[in-house]
Amino acid sequence: MHAPSRPWLLLAALLSVGPLLGCATRPPASDPEALAEYNQTNDPLEPTNRFFYRVNDALDVVVLKPVAEAYRYAVPRPVRTGIHNALANLSTPVLLANDVLQAKPRRAGDTLVRFVVNSTVGVVGIFDVASGWGYRAHDNDFGITLALWGVSDGPFLFLPVLGPSNPRDATGFGVDIALDPLTYIGQGAIVTDLKWARYGVSATDERERVLDPVDQIKKGALDPYATFRSLYRQHRDSEIAAARTDEPRTVPAWYLPGANP
Amino acid sequence: MLTRRTLLLLSGAALAMASLPDCLAFAQTANSAAPAFVQRTGDELIRAMDQAHTPQTKRQALLQIVERTVDVNGIARFCLGRYWRMATPQQQQDYTAVFHQTLINSITARIGDYQGVHFTIGRSAPMGDGTAVQTTVFRPNNPPVDVQWLVSEDGGSPKIIDVQAEGTSMRLTERSDYTSFLQQHGGNVQALIEALRRQAAQQQAG
Repeated sequence: MHAPSRPWLLLAALLSVGPLLGCATRPPASDPEALAEYNQTNDPLEPTNRFFYRVNDALDVVVLKPVAEAYRYAVPRPVRTGIHNALANLSTPVLLANDVLQAKPRRAGDTLVRFVVNSTVGVVGIFDVASGWGYRAHDNDFGITLALWGVSDGPFLFLPVLGPSNPRDATGFGVDIALDPLTYIGQGAIVTDLKWARYGVSATDERERVLDPVDQIKKGALDPYATFRSLYRQHRDSEIAAARTDEPRTVPAWYLPGANP
Repeated sequence: MLTRRTLLLLSGAALAMASLPDCLAFAQTANSAAPAFVQRTGDELIRAMDQAHTPQTKRQALLQIVERTVDVNGIARFCLGRYWRMATPQQQQDYTAVFHQTLINSITARIGDYQGVHFTIGRSAPMGDGTAVQTTVFRPNNPPVDVQWLVSEDGGSPKIIDVQAEGTSMRLTERSDYTSFLQQHGGNVQALIEALRRQAAQQQAG
């Protein structure tokens, strides 16, 4: 893929839709139910968000989805799993940093053990041996860290290329890149190419893993945008709740009365 | 041998039992029926999938189980949110009918996913308008999935009123879909019914 040869054309196209972008109209105070709904939806930039949803969807249909489908077709499942595991292993520094910033020693310990075991016994992270040993993977990012620090999510955002988000999670995304030591290492064309390759393979891997659910949602929903908005929020809330309730154990599990691991 | 001490202890225990607050007894009954119900329904589903051979008999078996164990009308009402009261009785009836169809279609569309499934029951606790029962579902070639079943016992017999997979609620997602559609169509419930009908027809054809 190369950059568009006529960037001004793209700019003109974006400017021409400019007037279409804007804010959702707030219902009048005389309709309290509609107003409550508006506040609950918390999507004041809805027209703009919907525009970027359509842009992303169009990009997905012509680029990312075909690539993910080709990847699924060409690469057998065990190899795909290995690639996914290796990529997850590479994100250990970011995961660990967030576990620590959230003051979750047990999760941090899990992350560390997983890294050591999977990088050695698991051959540079290709085989997830640690899961079998009881050190299961968990999600973490700086958006979750901010949530645990008491930052609320803010209005819904649908970002170009990145997809559903909100000010908190978008900030978290940027901080995660800054926290990643791989962002800073190395010089030269080969290293730069490798970094981009990692982003590319990650995007393909993630898209491949959600090929079927996304198809089902798009087919089943009357308003896919609203459905994705709802699913994104619910999923984030559950990840945050999982991080919050995963309390460090300072005594062995068998010691806790009524413990049910 | 019944000594004076054991007698005293027994009478004390009896007294303590009698003075137990009612809420505790209520919690006991609320917790006891739901997990067994989920276990029974899950077993039934797995058995039906194993025994039925053609897609038609599978669909038929699934349909029967869903009608018996899921509070489809209640979910339909929930998904329409505040627009339920704005709809005419005829619209409510039409909407509920097409919702039935939609739900059945979306369940049977994934019939292949239920092959070779097994599950374990986890904790259960009162949540919102029912009892939440935690399960872990194992599918061949897939990582285990945490699925939570919300069971209501308001109507006498237990019924499923929501399914949450990995923290996302089916009825909440559906409601935001419908609500958003209605917002885009000026709150016209008839437009929603028509859209759902078109969708159901498409799904059955496809």
